[in-house]
Amino acid sequence: MRSRFIPGTRAAPWLACLGLLVLWQIAALALKNDSFPTAWAAIRAIPLILADKEALINILASQRRMTIGFAVAIVVSVPLGLMMGRSRAVASFFNPLLMVIYPVPKAALMPIIMLWLGVGDLSKTLVIFLGVSLPVIYHSFEGAKSVEEKMLWSGAAMGLSAAQRMVRIVLPAALPEILTGCRTGLVLALITMVTSEMIARQSGAGNILFNALDMGEYDLVFAMIIIIGAMGICLDAMFETLRARLVRWSEPQFDMPLSFS
Amino acid sequence: MTVRAQDLLLGLVPLALVIALWQALVSFGYAPATLLPPPGLVFRRLAQQLTTLTFEQDVAATLFRLFAGFLIAVVLGVTIGIAAAASPLINSAVRPVVRVLAPLPKVALYPALLLLLGFGHGSKITLVTADALFPILLSTYYGASTVEQKLVWSALAAGTPPREVLFKVILPAAAPSILTGCRIGLVISCIVVFLAEMITSTDGLGHVLVTAARTFQAVDMFVPLITISLLGLILNGALGALRSYLLRGFPEV
Amino acid sequence: MNVLPSRTEAKAQPVRAPGQATAMIEIDHVSQMFQTSARQDHLALSDISLTIEDGAFVSILGPSGCGKSTLLYIVGGFVSPTQGSARMKGRAITGPGPDRGPVFQEFALFPWKTVLGNVMYGPRQQGVKAAEAEAQCRALIEMVGLKGFEDFYPKELSGGMKQRVALARTLAYHPEVLLMDEPFGALDAHTRTRLQNDLLNIWERDRKTVLFVTHSVEEAVFLSDKVVMMTRSPGRIREIIDIDLPRPRHRSELLLDPRYQKYVVDIERMFDDGPVQGSAL
Ligand SMILES: Nc1ncnc2c1ncn2[C@@H]1O[C@H](COP(=O)(O)OP(=O)(O)OP(=O)(O)O)[C@@H](O)[C@H]1O
Ligand SMILES: [Mg+2]
Repeated sequence: MRSRFIPGTRAAPWLACLGLLVLWQIAALALKNDSFPTAWAAIRAIPLILADKEALINILASQRRMTIGFAVAIVVSVPLGLMMGRSRAVASFFNPLLMVIYPVPKAALMPIIMLWLGVGDLSKTLVIFLGVSLPVIYHSFEGAKSVEEKMLWSGAAMGLSAAQRMVRIVLPAALPEILTGCRTGLVLALITMVTSEMIARQSGAGNILFNALDMGEYDLVFAMIIIIGAMGICLDAMFETLRARLVRWSEPQFDMPLSFS
Repeated sequence: MTVRAQDLLLGLVPLALVIALWQALVSFGYAPATLLPPPGLVFRRLAQQLTTLTFEQDVAATLFRLFAGFLIAVVLGVTIGIAAAASPLINSAVRPVVRVLAPLPKVALYPALLLLLGFGHGSKITLVTADALFPILLSTYYGASTVEQKLVWSALAAGTPPREVLFKVILPAAAPSILTGCRIGLVISCIVVFLAEMITSTDGLGHVLVTAARTFQAVDMFVPLITISLLGLILNGALGALRSYLLRGFPEV
Repeated sequence: MNVLPSRTEAKAQPVRAPGQATAMIEIDHVSQMFQTSARQDHLALSDISLTIEDGAFVSILGPSGCGKSTLLYIVGGFVSPTQGSARMKGRAITGPGPDRGPVFQEFALFPWKTVLGNVMYGPRQQGVKAAEAEAQCRALIEMVGLKGFEDFYPKELSGGMKQRVALARTLAYHPEVLLMDEPFGALDAHTRTRLQNDLLNIWERDRKTVLFVTHSVEEAVFLSDKVVMMTRSPGRIREIIDIDLPRPRHRSELLLDPRYQKYVVDIERMFDDGPVQGSAL
């Protein structure tokens, strides 16, 4: 059965947001806890943060580092992942190294990288780069690996060179999977950024969050949580729109029709 | 077997290169030992630490939070994922909420969890669960909702009562997807528990790293990082072995 | 679509006069519409009416995409028709049941079960004791020529072997009606001939009702009492041909029989006449 257009599908995420906020409001009112302000109080505190010029500049600077780290990671990881997916040798060369790096929390490298490169933009961007790379490599790898062999054979029969086959066949065929990786990577970039700011406690959204916590300004803590959450959801929604445009031909993964109901 | 051995050898090359480069940086004086201790020293320190009780307790604390959070995430994720795939009603409620919560940086919730649940195990376990939940939930839902219809039909035609289809067909058929989600969730759990301990804790591997960083003990900073990497490798390998045992019938495990 | 309805109705026993050929399956003005992504709905089956007698072997022939599989799914109770109804022994078909055993075009074997596990699924579901079911199923596996492959997983089998497992899995729970969707499509000529003979033997012994979809005119004529020819999409019944050949049939005799040859040639000629729009009845 194909899922038909249901009115209100577009509004559903907004309704979900609203529902979650209402739940929060009710929970806060019920708990009557000093350190757990109501949703409404938190929302009212949002302008306080955004009006603070220094805070705003800090957040924007974080965003810039995030964008750069993300972009560089994509440029490096996608070709690497694709090559791993098409060549057994390349894959077995890099796999163990990646397996070792995979479970290491990238933001946890912050103290060490700060020790080496100082507290400047470079170390913060580097950590974001590391955080984004692995899922993008992984998804590009999976995407390239599952490209059908026959498609490449017919490409070769049409006289495409190995490099041309990579760009003209493997890249587009793996694109849906690559974009899934990029989507994960984008959210991870934000997470790595916030976490490393929480650990380094120099500036940025994560720092504001914990400063407010230390000062006991709980409205601000929760306001900042809303801001960061909204950033994550917006980034994801923007990317999802882009993805849907780019790979219209591919079946959207989580919008599959239900097969047993 | 020989091909696998070759692959393994090939894979050891970059690891060896990294360690060689590391050693070279120290030996040729490009990096002072206070910033970058030689690998030999780090691994000796690791071996020594592994025998001390305090370090073992830190590892135990980390493992406890990791497993507790991960297991709760598995139970919740698989249940909600299957329910969303089986019932259109639950699906229409779960889908928008997941759409909103999945991309939310869960670590931003950590201060709120600290305020609500205190600085003990509770807040950290909840954070691990929150982070590991969504990959497991999504891949369960995906796996369960793409089960080949004719498998269900074959089972029904053979006389399976409709309410048993879930356990007899859907769950086994979705198993590859569910286990992939669990694997991702497990690695995320490793990462998140460590970070949570770094941000605020009095024990655990993350705490060891922060303590070392405060006193600029470079050697001691490497030890917990290598430990968590090893833990991740072992857990991942164990889950991978379980996966290929459970899925021995499925193509391309 | 609702694939999980109750099966109680379809299992009810009929009251029928002995010796009289009664209708096993009645398909009554069935039409099937599909919603497609191309905004426009697609009519797959249009006004099909067909009666299949108890113990009859009926083949459905028709061009690819004309709705043969869909018709089979409707009889199986997996799909409920947009219009019209299907009945088994006079009772409306509301869902799948072990009285109608499908053999799908796509095999649909359980990938997590071995060959033996797949074949034993039905009997075990019917409450047959494990040891007894195993003995029966091993014999069945041997009959379809897969002795020695009992512990293989489906992924380790070739297409033709999978198809034979699918056949064995359905035969194992003794359905009254077999719904076979191109069951010999993926087989080599030799195995195909062997399984056709086996199927005929089983059928002549048990007189199961068989609804058999195929692309092969020879196969249809060789096996059937009746051949139903369908038109190109939207599928309608174009012609129903009674195959009046003696039983039991033996391949070696039949191939030389001019009546058999005439049936084959006539039906093939009908195909060559191209699409006939509208009802040819
Ligand atoms: N679930 C579905 N959704 C939309 N259209 C469908 C669906 N199932 C079948 N169809 C359409 O119905 C028509 C008949 O399909 P069906 O599978 O019954 O054909 P068939 O005669 O079995 O073909 P073949 O010989 O190739 O197996 C086709 O045109 C197909 O596109
Ligand atoms: Mg078909």
